[in-house]
Amino acid sequence: MKEIVRAAVAIIVVCIVLFITNDYLGKSANNAGSDTVTVFNWGEYIDPELINQFEEETGYRVVYETFDSNEAMMTKIEQGGTSYDIAVPSEYAIEKMKENDLLLPIDPSKLPNLKNVDPYFLDLPFDPKNEFSIPYFWGTVGIVYNPSLLEGQTFESWDNLWDPSLEGKVLLVDGAREVIGMGLNSLGYSLNSTDENELQSSLEKLQSLTPNVKAIIGDEVTQLMVNEEAAVALTWSGQAADMMWENEELDYSVPEEGSNLWFDNMVIPKTSANVDGAHAFINFMLDAEVAAQNADYVGYSTPNTAAMEIMDEEVIADERFYPTEEARDNLEVYKNLGLEMLGHYNELFLKFKMGDN
Amino acid sequence: MGNTSKAAKIYLVLIFVILYAPIFYLIFYSFNSGGTMNEFDSFTWEHYTAVFSDTRLIMILINTVIVALLSALISTAIGVLGSLGIVYIRNKSLRNSILSLNNVLIVSPDVVIGASFLILFTMVGVKLGFASVLISHIAFSIPIVVLMVLPKLQEMNSSLIDAAADLGATRRDILRRVIIPFIKPGIFAGFFMALTYSLDDFAVTFFVTGNGFSTLSVEIYSMARAGITLTINALSGIIFIVTLFLVVGYYFISQRGGKNLTGMGIRK
Repeated sequence: MKEIVRAAVAIIVVCIVLFITNDYLGKSANNAGSDTVTVFNWGEYIDPELINQFEEETGYRVVYETFDSNEAMMTKIEQGGTSYDIAVPSEYAIEKMKENDLLLPIDPSKLPNLKNVDPYFLDLPFDPKNEFSIPYFWGTVGIVYNPSLLEGQTFESWDNLWDPSLEGKVLLVDGAREVIGMGLNSLGYSLNSTDENELQSSLEKLQSLTPNVKAIIGDEVTQLMVNEEAAVALTWSGQAADMMWENEELDYSVPEEGSNLWFDNMVIPKTSANVDGAHAFINFMLDAEVAAQNADYVGYSTPNTAAMEIMDEEVIADERFYPTEEARDNLEVYKNLGLEMLGHYNELFLKFKMGDN
Repeated sequence: MGNTSKAAKIYLVLIFVILYAPIFYLIFYSFNSGGTMNEFDSFTWEHYTAVFSDTRLIMILINTVIVALLSALISTAIGVLGSLGIVYIRNKSLRNSILSLNNVLIVSPDVVIGASFLILFTMVGVKLGFASVLISHIAFSIPIVVLMVLPKLQEMNSSLIDAAADLGATRRDILRRVIIPFIKPGIFAGFFMALTYSLDDFAVTFFVTGNGFSTLSVEIYSMARAGITLTINALSGIIFIVTLFLVVGYYFISQRGGKNLTGMGIRK
């Protein structure tokens, strides 16, 4: 009995000590201001130094949390119980959040740095007039490949993936929109097609790709490509940039038939307890130097023209990650197809995955 | 161990190699200056300094430990009282149904528990954060503690209690001096099980974290989306070494005391 009591007391003492340490760390990390800004962002999607810089400049305290998928983030916000001031969803998620009335309107008069953003990325169909969202990063969907494992193939066209020499070499990402979209694009249809005939022929086309598919997986793609265990993968430009950073052999290409153009935008969720702080944070992230430093750290493409002016020219000139406007004309943004159509996409994708011929 | 055959020893060694190889592989690369787990460039401490300079990560680590210790402590207390209650229920079918309910909670998927807690907390109006994480960890640990303590109680000979009562012990004395010492190994085993469950739980915790409070499993999960960085290796290395020291230290303390507290050993 004595031992148990002693052990319990020891645990409580340890907890108190840890509590005090944590409190101390929290205070030294955030020196001033009682106002907090709670940011909910993707993992590894900001340079941590910028958080400190923001705290020093504005006096707000930042509470930073991460999520790993749009759906998880939306669930958290929809359920309430949290006070996120900033979230960074992708475009289709923004559309959905708008529909579900989860967002607060953004006041452009509080964002003097908004002038830094390339107008090309403003006033897009998923959020006309940028009432609810401000661009953070953008990118494309394309093919990352390892020339040293291939026989001189390049991937200017989606059809290159169907080349018989690639048998068992292609990795696909486990996303219905991405894979079905690739099928549609390879036939010259729109990514957002809701035409049953187009979707069926896209499925048939995809099914003929089956012999070439090595695996349909998620984030493990990065490791497999970097370790040269696979030769070709369908992936997002930012992820491709990560891979190429770690393995210089790799190359990235967006097929010319067209592909997906995606955006991650900053929004202010309904749960926000500090709307002024949220605007201050968005404005801070739009600052030219801040955006440049962040893009340098994260590796995705920034929509900030002022930042691009001070960034490394080699990075900006790289058309694989900063495609020209003509090239962008070929790209399409995902539209919210509605629950029913999305279900149909998932069904088709499942059929493809099961190899149901 | 004296008369174990050679084959058995080799088998044992093999099992341990399989169990520990991934951990050592991970720790080995935490010293790699190359930044990836592909090939070893040269030795560096930079990933360890990165861990210590990231205040946010350290705070999350401390949060994780506090939640694990507190939830294990509280769930052990509740679990022990619960098992005492279950054992002294006379009605057999009632006792069995309570036990089944306990087991249902153990086999329920974490995702279901997590989602239900999220809905419950937001309905009641509890703000997500430290309290919500602690409460849900206590909740999923209690059934485990009960399962650890109950067998000890059941194997206890009831004549021990009768004897104590005959010798004039009050009910309180019986509990303090007879029952608790007897089931102590079970209590400690329950505590450590709860501690481990809390430390590595991802699914439940993911749903109930919020307002800046996060634990290591949730944080690492979202970090890993951008590829595993060696900071994670370094952090795992630190946690492994600390755990190792704690276990070794605990072993020596319990050896010196001449008692076996863990419950993993043989009861005297």
